[in-house]
Amino acid sequence: MKIKNNLVLALSVLILSFSCSSDDDNHQQEPQGAYEDGILVTNEGNFDQGNGAVTFISDDFAYAEQKVFFNVNGTLLGDTVQSIDFYGDLAYIVVNNSQKIEVVNRYTFQSVATIDSGLSNPRYITFLSGKGYVTNWGDGSNPDDDYVAVINLENHTVSSTISVEEGPERIVANETSIYVAHQGGYSQNNVVSVIKPNSDEVETITVGDVPNSMVFDSQGMLYVLSGGIPAWTGNETGGQLDVINTSSNTVSTTIEFVDNEHPSNLSYGESLYYTLNGGVYKLAIGSQELSTTPEIEGVNFNFMTVHDNILYGVGAEDYTSNGTLESFDLATNAILHSKEVGINPGGIYFND
Amino acid sequence: MKRLLYILFVLVIGNFNVVQAQLDSIQKLDEVLLSDVKLKRYTSGYKVTVLKDSILRKSPWSLTDLLRHNSNIYFKENGYGMVSSPSFRGTNASQTAVVWNGININSQLNGQVDYNTINTSNYDSVEIRSGGGSVQYGSGAIGGSLHLSNALSFMKHTDHMVRISYGSFDTKRANYRLSTASEQWSLNLGVAYVDSENDYKYLGTDKTNKNGQYNNLSLNLNAGYLLNEHHVLKLYHQSFLGDRNFSGTLLAPSKSKYEDTNYRSMLEWGYFHKQYTSKVKVVHLLEEFKYFENKDADYYSSGRVQSLIGNHNLNIKLTETIDLRTILEFAKYSGNGDDFENPNRNAFSATALWRHQVSEPLIYGLSIRKDFTSDFESPLVFSVDGAYHFSDSYTIKLNGSKNFRVPTFNDLYWNPGGNLDLLPESSYQVDLGQEFSSNFIDLKLNAYYIDTKDMIQWVPDNTGLFRPQNINKVKSYGAEFEIFLKHTIGSHNLNLNSGYSYTISENDTSAQQLIYVPLHKANLNFGYRFKALDVFYQHLFNGDVNIIGGQLDGYNVGNLGFSYKYELFKNVHSILQFNINNLYNTTYENVALRPMPNRNYQLQLTLKF
Repeated sequence: MKIKNNLVLALSVLILSFSCSSDDDNHQQEPQGAYEDGILVTNEGNFDQGNGAVTFISDDFAYAEQKVFFNVNGTLLGDTVQSIDFYGDLAYIVVNNSQKIEVVNRYTFQSVATIDSGLSNPRYITFLSGKGYVTNWGDGSNPDDDYVAVINLENHTVSSTISVEEGPERIVANETSIYVAHQGGYSQNNVVSVIKPNSDEVETITVGDVPNSMVFDSQGMLYVLSGGIPAWTGNETGGQLDVINTSSNTVSTTIEFVDNEHPSNLSYGESLYYTLNGGVYKLAIGSQELSTTPEIEGVNFNFMTVHDNILYGVGAEDYTSNGTLESFDLATNAILHSKEVGINPGGIYFND
Repeated sequence: MKRLLYILFVLVIGNFNVVQAQLDSIQKLDEVLLSDVKLKRYTSGYKVTVLKDSILRKSPWSLTDLLRHNSNIYFKENGYGMVSSPSFRGTNASQTAVVWNGININSQLNGQVDYNTINTSNYDSVEIRSGGGSVQYGSGAIGGSLHLSNALSFMKHTDHMVRISYGSFDTKRANYRLSTASEQWSLNLGVAYVDSENDYKYLGTDKTNKNGQYNNLSLNLNAGYLLNEHHVLKLYHQSFLGDRNFSGTLLAPSKSKYEDTNYRSMLEWGYFHKQYTSKVKVVHLLEEFKYFENKDADYYSSGRVQSLIGNHNLNIKLTETIDLRTILEFAKYSGNGDDFENPNRNAFSATALWRHQVSEPLIYGLSIRKDFTSDFESPLVFSVDGAYHFSDSYTIKLNGSKNFRVPTFNDLYWNPGGNLDLLPESSYQVDLGQEFSSNFIDLKLNAYYIDTKDMIQWVPDNTGLFRPQNINKVKSYGAEFEIFLKHTIGSHNLNLNSGYSYTISENDTSAQQLIYVPLHKANLNFGYRFKALDVFYQHLFNGDVNIIGGQLDGYNVGNLGFSYKYELFKNVHSILQFNINNLYNTTYENVALRPMPNRNYQLQLTLKF
């Protein structure tokens, strides 16, 4: 290296005097080692820029650590960090544009395995009966190659695939079934697929256009919030909330929003909460009256969730600088805390 | 012909009083020979660097490779051979105009040119004009402009050139050029083909560049016919067909593919009469792309724009020392593609250029242009430039201008997001240059300031939909230094040219250096010739650049080459050239996570007959 540098120097005396590069600009944080009792935030980063990461924030917001995976394992996590779900002691991090799932110990973030075969634009993961289920778009431009990959959790490989309709996105499970919301990928769809373990049959339930979030209530009812078709398509439809009775897998109640209302981020904590036009709205379980007054105003959440009567939301700011995690006390609707996270945050997970 | 020019040139310098007649001849000659006379005649106060044939033939064929090592322009390349865009004086990819034989060929779709879709093999020269040039070259000439030129000579000759090369990563290149003429007609033909597996090692990893294969075909055909002393007809044509797989990044694999199709044709009728020169041009440009997310599937998205341009140039020699040129241009652009309906746009522009040689040392130019465009209002743009020759060895050049960049088809019509309320980006710039020259050394020192407002950026609106808006203001300023050295001792011939640029380019609100604009960039070309043997060394230093959320380290890259000339048969000259690229096997990226090639080799044989 020395000889090379000398040669370089000798050959370009004129120019090299301007060169000065410092390697210590990236002040990396030491890994804390224990990520228990805190919040994990996934930061998508920018497509093809490889700057996706996971941020850890302690429950009291006193401590935050950026790029946890990198700090512990010494390698970059990947491109477009989409989502996380937990299974036992493990966290499964779905990295969309890297076409992989990183499996880590959820408390230490030590890498356990990488699943990088059999996935094609993976989005979200859930678990049932000892198997993992991952939604995959396939090629975004192909409406006919979308599937749910079944993960063997013993050897961390894709053991089989289940073909589904276009644009499978969010995926959740109760004790008997997997529910997949088909947001539509590059297009728009309006169904929820129901998958039963050990069966190739896929049942579909028609819901509103572009279902973007799903939650179970304490009674086991599934609430599916659809955003509606956006105006730019020239075929705008409003949002819709569908309540699915999970014993019959039929829609028991439908609540419609007006045509130019496109709600998202359905969350559950005693009541239902969702975002619409920069406000957080509340809807009591069983109520069919949509409120016109937001509980919280002036937010711009990429994602929102409720945990122990505290509402958490992440905002992406300008999508190229670091975003923010905010928490609100739902008893008073007052802001509790705010903490800087990574670039383009899109998921909040409670590691307790 | 060259000798004639030289003699005339000597006369110009030797005796200014008797010079006018000869000057007229030169001017007339220029009008006949050159495709872009404005570049020569109306740029007194600008820095213009000419990269000649000899430099073009040594360089590895793409415009990116040529300029990376021979200019102050910084390139962002998505892996070798992939999409490549410039930053000229701290401006962005759509703020440098590429001008093909006098015609601006920046894409109507995205405002840019992918510099890896320009093969330099079939051009006679590439000129780098630093500084704003919207008055003469239209939209996008904010940082500067690059000129691809073909000259047509009317001197009886027939020359053939064949060039073939083979190198690392299974890279095959072939080029044939024919140049033939009589005193009445002239013809140039060039065909170049490049094909590469491009599967280089990602140094420091166990990976290779997996999906980076590319091939492209470039055809140039230029013809001229002198009807009589007063009339000339010329035809210029260029086709480019490119087929590339797009490399992934270190973190994201790719299976995508991209096809480029470009056809450019221009018919020109020139009329020369004493004080008047008139040129009528009809131009047809077609650009088309097809993007395959998965190269093995049939699904693709595409976009296409056809441009039909009519142009009239009138040059009037008002007095012995004053030239006036007027340009009227009408253009019709029609697009279609998957991401928008079938938009059409019409544009009309009127331009006037004035040049006055006030005295032997002092020359200045004034120019003004107004565009009238459907869909948006274009600003009135102007430029002022001048040069003062203090002595044979010292000249000061100054230019100031207002320039613009129109919103692209994507900005205006893309669904979703396209915004019909956009304004063109507009920019003021000043540039002061000093040039020193002597027998063996030439120095150029420039300082510039560019202030651009209404920059178009895609930002999310309150529903999260990304839409282009005129929001950004950017200030760029910096200094450039270029040196050219030549020295001969006996049969030993040394030459060196080198450039350094210091560039500040900041967003007005954040006062942060923009991403992918290096503060420092330097390049050096050193050549040593002894009889038939030629040895050359190229060095590039690229400073650190900001990227989103971080920094990308700078790098030093060196290339070494040897060439040997000999006469194969009678009247068949050949040059055998061997290049070692990335001599030090430097690990480097010029776009984050997209490694560039490891050390590689290339052997090239040129035959001229």
